[in-house]
Amino acid sequence: MGADKGKKPKLGGADNENNGTEQIDAELVLSIEKLQEFQDELDKVNEEASEKVLELEQKYNEIRKPVYDKRNDIIKSIPDFWLTAFMSHPALSELLTDEDQKIFKYLSKLEVEDCKDVKSGYSITFHFESNPYFEDAILTKTFTFFEEGTTEISATAITWKEGMGIPIGVAAEEKKGNKRPKADESFFSWFNNIQHSSNLEEIHDEVAEIIKDDLWPNPLRYFNNEAADEEGSEMDDDEDKDGDGSEDDDDDDDQDDDENED
Amino acid sequence: MGAEKGKKQRSEEVEEERNGADVIDVELVQTIEKLQSIQEDLEKINEEASEKVLELEQQYNVIRKPVYDKRNDVIKSIPDFWLTAFMSHPALSELLTEEDQKIFKYLDNLEVEDFKDVKSGYSITFMFKPNPHFEDAKLTKTFSFLEEGVTKITATNIKWKEGMGIPNGVSEEKKGNKRSLAEESFFSWFTESEFKGDMYEINDEVADIIKDDLWPNPLTYFNNEAEEDMDEDDEDDEGSDDGSGDDDDDEEDAEA
Repeated sequence: MGADKGKKPKLGGADNENNGTEQIDAELVLSIEKLQEFQDELDKVNEEASEKVLELEQKYNEIRKPVYDKRNDIIKSIPDFWLTAFMSHPALSELLTDEDQKIFKYLSKLEVEDCKDVKSGYSITFHFESNPYFEDAILTKTFTFFEEGTTEISATAITWKEGMGIPIGVAAEEKKGNKRPKADESFFSWFNNIQHSSNLEEIHDEVAEIIKDDLWPNPLRYFNNEAADEEGSEMDDDEDKDGDGSEDDDDDDDQDDDENED
Repeated sequence: MGAEKGKKQRSEEVEEERNGADVIDVELVQTIEKLQSIQEDLEKINEEASEKVLELEQQYNVIRKPVYDKRNDVIKSIPDFWLTAFMSHPALSELLTEEDQKIFKYLDNLEVEDFKDVKSGYSITFMFKPNPHFEDAKLTKTFSFLEEGVTKITATNIKWKEGMGIPNGVSEEKKGNKRSLAEESFFSWFTESEFKGDMYEINDEVADIIKDDLWPNPLTYFNNEAEEDMDEDDEDDEGSDDGSGDDDDDEEDAEA
């Protein structure tokens, strides 16, 4: 024991009162080295575990994809599904101005997709039918997570049609004493919010998180709340819940609207 | 809507004006039912995924356990390891009063263990050598995640020896020590309670830090302390790296 007298710096910082101290220090150093080895082993195990979890998530994303595709097909035959779901969501409903809601009537499909490897990022895509507001058929916002921990956010630069721009929503003529508070800024400004960050945690796109983690997994839940309310008050409903009838009537029955527009 | 739909449709169309959009309602209802069925399919898939992830975690916990055990054995031969690690941790160091630090000199083992199924909870156990402060050899705090989002927290009821109590740290020992010390003893952390609500509402930060930050790799914190001692080899009149705690000023630099 104690053969490594002068080899390592003294951890204890004590002067060499006796050789025993250095002896203990040498053993100490050895223990710490062993400890480091165990930590390294744990690191390896943890990495392996993370990889396996990631593989699982990738696998289940592949299983879910066709189901989501089928779901989107079904949703296409439900008029104003996404608009209604948005307006029924406590947080998302606050984000749509009156003008936005008009635009959302052209929203035919919403899609949230992880990168194939799951960990590199994801995108949220809004598909629109031809409309008088902008040229784009697809508006996408993409989040990319890089190895070094940086995040990049990119989004479609909306090609607004003439006379349209980012609708502000504070359109005096529209606000007919509507009880519910509306967004001041258009929802579509969300597509402007592009950033690069060195710290993943700094990027906090709540809207993206809500759409991805809350709305996308089960939008029917929110849609139904709206529908359930409608069933409860079949006839004229002056409680302008979703506001998409604000332009013509107080009845928030989507079905009626659709029919009238027929 | 096309006029080819059929008799049923037509008669309903007649009633339209009265009831308002029955035709669409029927189809709509059917479509929504199909949608509901798909959501249920998705739910099943998600449940399966969660179970598989849980199984993985259980599996890896089993793999990690012997490594943690061996690690703990080595740690036992490093004097004041856990005390030093605590005092080197930016958050945990704030929690130990001077009295606590004296008690921690008897701490020779720390253990964080998930329940076997991982999802039901976990426990944090401090093991002490015989000491003049309390009778217990082990102090454990356990978090049990029960049904309906209830979390039950149980902890050892410390059997303090005579003259000891939950030390409050406001003692004569504080000889103008620069570092701010906890006012309340760390050992008051061993209290029981029950929560109802989202698991994530549980705000036992200390538990989180010990479980998620310290336990996975306490060596990083311990090493910061040790490195500081090495640098101050000559000028350091402390004489030891065992974090006796009287005048350590190292933990300021010891960041994660």
